[in-house]
Amino acid sequence: MALLADTEPCVRCCTMPEARHPEHELYDSEERFRLLVQSVVDYAIFMLDPGGRIVSWNAGAERIKGYAAHEIIGRHFSVFYPPDDIAADKPGTELELAVADGRLEDEGWRLRRDGTRFWANVVITALYDADGSLRGFGKVTRDMTERRSAERALDERGRLLSHLIRAQEAERQRIAWDVHDDTIQAMVAFGMRVQLIADRLPAEHAEAMSRLGDTVSATIDRLRDLTFRLHPPELDHSGLPEALSTYLAHVVAEAGLTWELRHDLRREPSPEIAITVYRICQEALTNVLKHARASSVTVSLSADDQGLLVGVADDGVGPSPDAPGRREHFGLIEMRERAELAGGWWSMEAAPGGGTIVRFWLPTPPSEASAERYLPR
Amino acid sequence: MSTPRGRHTVLIGDDQPMIRDIVREVLEAEPDLAVVAMAGDADEAIRLAERHRPAVAILDVRMPRGGGAHAAREIRRCSPLTRVMAFSAYGDSAVVEEMRLAGAAEYLVKGVPNVAIVAAVRRLAALG
Repeated sequence: MALLADTEPCVRCCTMPEARHPEHELYDSEERFRLLVQSVVDYAIFMLDPGGRIVSWNAGAERIKGYAAHEIIGRHFSVFYPPDDIAADKPGTELELAVADGRLEDEGWRLRRDGTRFWANVVITALYDADGSLRGFGKVTRDMTERRSAERALDERGRLLSHLIRAQEAERQRIAWDVHDDTIQAMVAFGMRVQLIADRLPAEHAEAMSRLGDTVSATIDRLRDLTFRLHPPELDHSGLPEALSTYLAHVVAEAGLTWELRHDLRREPSPEIAITVYRICQEALTNVLKHARASSVTVSLSADDQGLLVGVADDGVGPSPDAPGRREHFGLIEMRERAELAGGWWSMEAAPGGGTIVRFWLPTPPSEASAERYLPR
Repeated sequence: MSTPRGRHTVLIGDDQPMIRDIVREVLEAEPDLAVVAMAGDADEAIRLAERHRPAVAILDVRMPRGGGAHAAREIRRCSPLTRVMAFSAYGDSAVVEEMRLAGAAEYLVKGVPNVAIVAAVRRLAALG
């Protein structure tokens, strides 16, 4: 299996070009096989030394993972794993399992050179010398992102869950509209009438009536807050960035944190993607307020041709190394579940400068008609 | 644009009768303001504005039959001296911008004190 290693030049082929010995035929065949492996573009095929450092690289690896051979050879293969996998020592465990069982197959998110993710099918094979000593590992990786999206779209459980989420969002929207267009209007009329009466009463009674008016105003504010939490009207009228900045201004600023929203969206995502982004951000920001002890939070939205990458970063105490509490745990599961149902991924990790960063990516198919709607300025 | 007694005339367009009635009472309590018409949808508001040529039209944004923006645009066309004030339960920028483009000179979010409504109506009537 040493033929997979392209770091050793085929010296004998070059020094004995005219010889046609059986041994040379073998090297010829090895060279052809090496060229085949090197030029395969659909699979990343490369070798690791026994410690997990990369010793060979092919065209498919460069295409799928984005590294040129000179950038990656010599580095540890854990560079391809997301931070939460590294924290759980998944790379090390996978090598141990490959040694124990001869081979290991896994599917999961892996990182490209630019930090974006792809859904990988990975086979790691332990490679032994004739004398039985471990020479290293052969690693074959396929980019399964498209197939996974298609499979998830057809998956029964996924269909049921996204149907439930859609039904839940539709119900929340209906309740929000009812409260907004009926209950709040009635309270507004009530408040105006109280003010009118207060204006006509002698001073000693006007004071009490004015306090009643204040209570009505406070109730209207609370009802508006309720509708806003149920389904922000900005999401329907003004788009995702304004809905998020309104949420940050209301909820995050009122809790005493400074906030920033950065985005480079040129068009509004589909309503389904917009509400998914909004809900995950809402949950992530709730976690920041409850657990992070942060003083500032930054939400960023950046679009590419295929999707929308979102970050929620705070400057607090960082993710808890302890087992999370049940409530928090459900919040994390819900965020991940929502992102994955939409065909994307979700992660939570320690931010480089301290604090926590929640990042997630959702695909935004360009064929969706609503994606063509440009955001109002 | 004023009644014989010199009061500024006002049209109220809102699909909520409770809101129409209380806005009328608040304005009628002022000696210089008179409500001359009340409409429950956009078409009715346009028709009544054409007939009464009020100094001020107070329009809800989410009204049946075309909404406040449609009503504002048509009222500005058929009664150019009528000034439009949007009176809405929504305050987000896209809605405010939509009404501004339709010709609304004031935008009040429902829940503001009565004195703010009266002051805005007087400001608009003074422009006429």
